[in-house]
Amino acid sequence: MPKLIRLHDGHAAFANDAYVTVADEDETPASGDVILPLERFRTEGEVLLSNGRNVGVLLASDQAIEDIAQDLTRLSLVALSFPKFRDGRHYTSARLLRERFGYDGEIRAVGEVLREQAVFFVRCGFDAFEPADGSTPEQWMAAAGRFRHVYQRGADDRDPAFIERTQ
Amino acid sequence: MKAIVANRLIDGEVVYWNHGAWKTRFGEAELFEADDAAEAAVAQANVPTQVVDCYLIDVAPEADGYAPTAFRERVKATGPQNHPQHGKQAEGGHDIELIKQAHGIARSAGRHNLIKLKK
Amino acid sequence: MYRYDAIDRAFVEDRAAQFKAQVARRLAGEISEDQFKPLRLMNGLYLQLHAYMLRISIPYGTLSTTQLRKLAWIARTYDKGYGHFTTRQNLQFHWIKLRDVPDILDHLASVEMHALQTSGNCIRNVTSDPRAGATAEEIEDPRVWSELIRQWAALHPEFSFLPRKFKIAVTASPHDRTAARLHDIGLLMRKGREGLGFEVIVGGGMGRTPYVGPTIREFLPAEHLMSYLEAILRIYNRHGRRDNIYKARIKILVAQLGAEEFARQVEAEWEAIDRPSLDLPQAEIERVRAGFAAPAFETLPGRSDAFEAAKAADYALARFARNNVHPHKQPGYAIVDISLKAPGETPGDATGDQMDAIADLADAYSFGEVRVTHEQNLVLAHVKLDDVAAVFAGLKAIGLASANINLVSDIIACPGLDYCALANARAIPIAQDIAVRFANAETAEKIGELKIKISGCINACGHHHVGHIGILGVDKKGEEFYQLSLGGSAAEDAEVGKILGPAVPADKVTDAVDQMIEVYLRERHAGERFIDTYRRVGLVPFKEAVYAEAH
Repeated sequence: MPKLIRLHDGHAAFANDAYVTVADEDETPASGDVILPLERFRTEGEVLLSNGRNVGVLLASDQAIEDIAQDLTRLSLVALSFPKFRDGRHYTSARLLRERFGYDGEIRAVGEVLREQAVFFVRCGFDAFEPADGSTPEQWMAAAGRFRHVYQRGADDRDPAFIERTQ
Repeated sequence: MKAIVANRLIDGEVVYWNHGAWKTRFGEAELFEADDAAEAAVAQANVPTQVVDCYLIDVAPEADGYAPTAFRERVKATGPQNHPQHGKQAEGGHDIELIKQAHGIARSAGRHNLIKLKK
Repeated sequence: MYRYDAIDRAFVEDRAAQFKAQVARRLAGEISEDQFKPLRLMNGLYLQLHAYMLRISIPYGTLSTTQLRKLAWIARTYDKGYGHFTTRQNLQFHWIKLRDVPDILDHLASVEMHALQTSGNCIRNVTSDPRAGATAEEIEDPRVWSELIRQWAALHPEFSFLPRKFKIAVTASPHDRTAARLHDIGLLMRKGREGLGFEVIVGGGMGRTPYVGPTIREFLPAEHLMSYLEAILRIYNRHGRRDNIYKARIKILVAQLGAEEFARQVEAEWEAIDRPSLDLPQAEIERVRAGFAAPAFETLPGRSDAFEAAKAADYALARFARNNVHPHKQPGYAIVDISLKAPGETPGDATGDQMDAIADLADAYSFGEVRVTHEQNLVLAHVKLDDVAAVFAGLKAIGLASANINLVSDIIACPGLDYCALANARAIPIAQDIAVRFANAETAEKIGELKIKISGCINACGHHHVGHIGILGVDKKGEEFYQLSLGGSAAEDAEVGKILGPAVPADKVTDAVDQMIEVYLRERHAGERFIDTYRRVGLVPFKEAVYAEAH
């Protein structure tokens, strides 16, 4: 299992993962925090939430963020899946979560999550990562901060070049 | 008949497998009669820190030696036609001349598994 | 031209350092070739048949002489002394060693250049008009907007893993020299009542399934360009197909949804997007605009007696003037095309020594700037009429004075199977053969404008779909064959050519071109170009001529 890296106030560290990701064929554990695939969330989410449990939803790369828009205030975590690192759909999902839906819970990148993408993940608003390449938090942050300047607005708080130039 | 071709990772040079070593000329390539021996050798040859794009090619007898059957592989073994002074052809030699004059069985761009050889 | 500030410089330095680390990790075996490949591709590094190929970005086709000299030096130091200018206004080196690439990127960074995003499924180098800033036709210099797009696209956090590559063209002239309607996005500058704006075309492209892109918005105010591009890319990133590489370009999405529905989705996204945070501050637009301020032109009469006298005395110069010299917005100046299509040579190739000599000419006669065209030629954009003869003499000395711009021997050809790992057939020898057949300058002028474009595979880097005569190399039962098409155009009257008939073997291609030209010469009305005659008489007479023997 990849170790979880969490980003908090610009610092990254390994974190204990309290969540259990429930695979399609698995039983939902009787207690504790869970991450459910979207289909499972639709059938079981209501009960789990009413029992006061922390619930996250896992979206496959072809599932749209709009499908959970109504539930976001109750979700403590959204996990976005990258089956291949080349599949970039969920970069958009993360930005929409942060910038359009104002989501402030954890956005976690799972799947083929590699250090070379760290800068894109962080800039799009992800704050938790399960690196498939065994990256340490130090390596992850070095990759994420490799560039002293950025050119575009993202979901992070970095000023793009066109703002830096006015200062 | 088969040979094993690859590009060297560090510089991209086209290389041919011969009993555990990579050679830079097609004329130095080890030729395999049996498909299973060739497959086994590819598995041994394809070391990702040394080579890229490692695969088997078809080789056929010519009047005075052997040449790759696929046209693409002949280009790889010799060099670009527009710059005869560039690539392996610059050094000349028997194997180069032989490939340049080979009359193709399959003048194909495809790799081994894409080529339909006339039997 | 635009010069880097400290931010731009730091960015390309960081990029070079990043790639250096990635190469080290690859060589140490820490990352696999599968993982490394997209990283090297995002730095323009391909593995081809004989070696690595490094594709260096020449943003909107504009080079300073400092940059051109650096490319010449790289050609001699790390390659075999030459480079290949491409249909995307870039430069490719075909004999690169992986171990040298980090150093090459450092050298490029030192002259404000990079190889960023010249490959991979990201936003590629922006195409623009090679006559930008020089032609009287344009509304404003389109490179202003091209540079702003270049910066916006550089390592875009959301759009670096798109379904497929993404190409944007910007032009501000009614005569389109960028093939805008064949790009993923084509931006045609318009002047509206409310100021500057763009007609926005989305979903053109070549490749396996060619489309002339539809207009999705007639007028987009220029100040909203960035937020609108962001909306288009977002729709594409979310909904473009990822299950089939041949259906992943935005043209397929636009065609499947229909232009109207695609436009509706873009507009809906654009309504929802945070425009004020994405659109550039006016000060930034003005800063970049200042980078493209006109050079210090002299006030000159519109006619140069010296040039007229020189033309009268030298028929070769007169021919060069007819074909390679074009009107400039500034009286007394001209735009001079440098043909990289000397018959028998490789289309688009230039040696390091030729690059140095061109840099010297540009310093002496064209404000130290050189342009690259998507037709694989170079341009000196601001030459005094008084100096054209000197430029011509300088070009003659390096074998680049061919007076064949837009003529039969001005052929576009991709590297093809002589270099490219994707190719099915050779393109260069076909181009050389045709150009040599029509090397006679008088014959070529008699034939007039004729755009022949050759691709060695269906990826269409040689733009064969939009050639007046298009030639596509195919692998037919293990042999190189060539499919001919007619009637394509990459200009403002963009059109995809129609396939003439069964593919012909390599040694019949030049004959077929010859036969089609004979038909044209027989059928043409006064003043008609090849393409006009084709449009009037249709495919049939050409087809009959080429396939006559088969009947």
